[in-house]
Amino acid sequence: MSNSTFSSPAFAKRLAQRHAAERRFKLIGLGAIVISLAFLALLLVIMMRNGLGGLNWNFLSGSDSTDPHIAGIWSAAKGSILTMLVTLLLSFPMGVLAAIYLEEFAPRSRWIELVEVSINNLAAVPSIIFGLLGLAVFINTFNMPRSSPLVGGLTLALMTMPVIVISGRNAIKAVPPSIRDAALAVGASKVQAVFHHVLPLALPGILTGTIIGMARALGETAPLLMIGMRAFIVTPPDGITAPSSVLPMQIFLWSDEIDKAFVQNTSAAIIVLLVFLLVMNGLAIYLRNKFEVRW
Amino acid sequence: MTETKLTARNVDVFYGPKKAIDNVSIDIDNGIVTAFIGPSGCGKSTFLRSLNRMNDTIAGARVTGEILLDGEDIYAPSMDPVALRARVGMVFQKPNPFPKSIYENIAYGPRIHGLASSKAEMDAIIESSLTKAGLWDEVKDRLSDAGTALSGGQQQRLCIARAIAVSPEVILMDEPCSALDPIATAKIEELIDELKENYAIVIVTHSMQQAARVSQRTAFFHLGNLVEYGETSEIFTNPREEKTKDYITGRYG
Amino acid sequence: MILTGVLLAVIGLGLVGWFAARGRARLLYTGRGSMHSMPSYHGWHMALWILVPALLAWAAWSAIMPGLVDGAVMADPAAAQLPEGDMHRAAVLADARNIAANPDAVAFDPLSQELAAPMRAAQTRFGMIGGLLILIVALAGGGYGFTRVRAGFPARTHVERAILALLLIASLMAILTTFGIVASLLFEAGLFFKDVSPIAFLTGTHWAPGNARGIDIDGNFGAVPLFWGTIYIGAIIAMVVAIPLGLMSAIYLTQYASSTIRKWVKPILEILAGIPTVVYGYFAALTVAPLIRDTAASLGVANPSTESALAAGLVMGVMIIPFVSSMADDALAAVPRAMSDGSLALGATQSETIKKVLLPAALPGIVAGVMLAISRAIGETMIVVMAAGASARLSANPLASMTTVTYQIVQMLTGDQEFNSPKTLSAFALGLVLFIVTLILNIIALRVVKRFREAYE
Repeated sequence: MSNSTFSSPAFAKRLAQRHAAERRFKLIGLGAIVISLAFLALLLVIMMRNGLGGLNWNFLSGSDSTDPHIAGIWSAAKGSILTMLVTLLLSFPMGVLAAIYLEEFAPRSRWIELVEVSINNLAAVPSIIFGLLGLAVFINTFNMPRSSPLVGGLTLALMTMPVIVISGRNAIKAVPPSIRDAALAVGASKVQAVFHHVLPLALPGILTGTIIGMARALGETAPLLMIGMRAFIVTPPDGITAPSSVLPMQIFLWSDEIDKAFVQNTSAAIIVLLVFLLVMNGLAIYLRNKFEVRW
Repeated sequence: MTETKLTARNVDVFYGPKKAIDNVSIDIDNGIVTAFIGPSGCGKSTFLRSLNRMNDTIAGARVTGEILLDGEDIYAPSMDPVALRARVGMVFQKPNPFPKSIYENIAYGPRIHGLASSKAEMDAIIESSLTKAGLWDEVKDRLSDAGTALSGGQQQRLCIARAIAVSPEVILMDEPCSALDPIATAKIEELIDELKENYAIVIVTHSMQQAARVSQRTAFFHLGNLVEYGETSEIFTNPREEKTKDYITGRYG
Repeated sequence: MILTGVLLAVIGLGLVGWFAARGRARLLYTGRGSMHSMPSYHGWHMALWILVPALLAWAAWSAIMPGLVDGAVMADPAAAQLPEGDMHRAAVLADARNIAANPDAVAFDPLSQELAAPMRAAQTRFGMIGGLLILIVALAGGGYGFTRVRAGFPARTHVERAILALLLIASLMAILTTFGIVASLLFEAGLFFKDVSPIAFLTGTHWAPGNARGIDIDGNFGAVPLFWGTIYIGAIIAMVVAIPLGLMSAIYLTQYASSTIRKWVKPILEILAGIPTVVYGYFAALTVAPLIRDTAASLGVANPSTESALAAGLVMGVMIIPFVSSMADDALAAVPRAMSDGSLALGATQSETIKKVLLPAALPGIVAGVMLAISRAIGETMIVVMAAGASARLSANPLASMTTVTYQIVQMLTGDQEFNSPKTLSAFALGLVLFIVTLILNIIALRVVKRFREAYE
């Protein structure tokens, strides 16, 4: 019967070709991954080769200088820490509260829909636009001090908040309704049920999202360029209103130097920044694995 | 005139460390419909999927023992699962037409296997497959409509036509009517009856009435074992095993 | 200075109020059911009555006080010497404010030194007035709150209502931010379009803001070369790299790789997305761009430039790979298994199933992912600032130096130039275009993704 169709030499030949195509396709897929990973490896190796020699205590504790051999990153690192503090203090409570409202209390209305669309879009707006906002509003309208961690932190907080809201909502959504029902059934009010029971259970997920958002803010350069955080800072900032730089900005400024010796500084600063980010992301993964509850 | 098409000898199927099928041996004949019945989770679908090596696509699934198609071991290293599945077609529980036109749904199989060398040949395959599946008159004027736009019963007949288009020797049907209404079910059953002339058909079904209506032989599975296998009329009127009797009289299942 | 002290005092008062109200409520407690709310809710209710009105008063006063101070300083005889120009006058006043706050600061203008003393006096005077007003508000609020501590008073309900208001305000921040972005971009771009015609800006092909003076101003603000550079680098070169690599990685990881490999490779691949863009920019400028230049030179290209669209686009593409890959991953995962089962059961190979069934079925999701990737690429700044160059040119030569919208925004806003010149304002016009384009891409993409998910649910 039709058996002959599938045992004919033509069919066998075609089958061999199809299997060859299958192997090629699989190889291309593998190749895509290998190329991507090779690029990552190349980037890391080059930064290590250029920068590891420059990592020493003087570099870590020094401030910017026109002399590459005494220039260090502490002033920029301190600027980063102050900026991140402002960002965290603003975006975390705001983000969590907004997430709670949208997930637990918000009525279905046009306004709330607008808020949701807003948040989803803000998460995808180019970071440089937030820089323009910071420049126009915080500096030109409110006359806040230029180049300061305060303005930098405010700008990055607006950028980070949508990330925290989105991850916060997902974490709250993952808490099963039975927990709320249980709390309500013993006579807790809705607010009490949410703050006493749902929020603690959702917190690890919220923290993970917050750390990821903060890591992104820590590596951000473009919006801070807009608000003038590219000053040449030779003393560490002593407050959130003092002119300051941040780590990625220091990398950017050094990368522009003509003196070849700055290549080592730039690469070393990149290593420091990447280590920071690695630690933060590691912490996020650890938190997720340690506290993740499967309902 | 029945000849043995598929032979299974001491077949075990494992999902990871769990044994889903235990030492099943069975002969499936050409030109008739064989039904697999049994309570859910008894392994009948698992066993069906091992007959065209669809179990290969499930991570951790493993088949031991021997399954012969016309005397050839389908698990032999020389057997190509791709060529095997062209010979042993399958229809699934839920109709799963591709999100393409009716025409493209059917042309897909013949095209990948190179069964048509011209547009005219392909058109002929489409028409004959749809005709055999009893769908031609309903769709001949809208072959370029999406396959997913058809009703559930039509979708399932489209899937049968899609399987036929490759001209398989065996057609495996995994509860093909479980998602359909009674009228659509009756149409499919009628179709199965017509198709059995040219194919060996194996149907897994949840409904004993359906097995009794469409099949000539019935195999009763329970907890991964083949409990009883024989003429359908025998099984339903005069089962040898106590378990079979309990099942068909509705004591469990 | 004084206001900071007042703020601390208000917070201290709030704390005192909390304890006082709770203490009083505890005395009222006579047993189960004797009170509507637990004592600590009475504490919170009282604290809110102290804090909220006082903090509002504090914020209001902080906003109006600089104006009052400046007004008082202007009345000073020394202020008569102030220069006419608004900009200059504001600079001197800012300088004086600086010296008033920090006597060691260096005066750029002797006049500001003279104004420092009246400035300090005015600040003290208005600080005292404001501080007193704020404290009165706080005490009044507290007094009212304290009278409400009664057994039957539903303090919890009131506190919870306040919490809900706080939650609502937090979630309105998102709208406020969006509004802030739109308003500030529109406002500043509006100033720009007063000088430069929008049509010349959107359709002109000559970009040289440095030459823009007087009557030929329109002719030097043609942004088309910038749009082209942005599209060429972000939407063409970067996507030529990112789409095949990202898509094929996703296909390999979801369809072929064992679960162990997937578990390890996926997070490593995602590191690519976590590397700051400034690092990519540096890598592009330090390694990739010279490599491309040398390769081009050895292939006989005359005078290849160090900065090239190719270098920036290539590195940007690599940065986007994990993004495309995870979007494709989601899209492929959303296609029901029955689809690939149906194809495999017909005797299709895995790759035939992927190419002819899975990819077409996942296409809407993948296209949406690519749109989001493009929106991200065209808004990317640091890589192009560091590797793409400043020359605004309409060229299809990937080895040419090319500029982008984001590059020019940075360029226009980081030099030392007066704020309201068309050159500076053009950054906001460019920002507005960028915002609108990315917004459209995002909205369409999010909608497609949503519809696509619903189609298979």
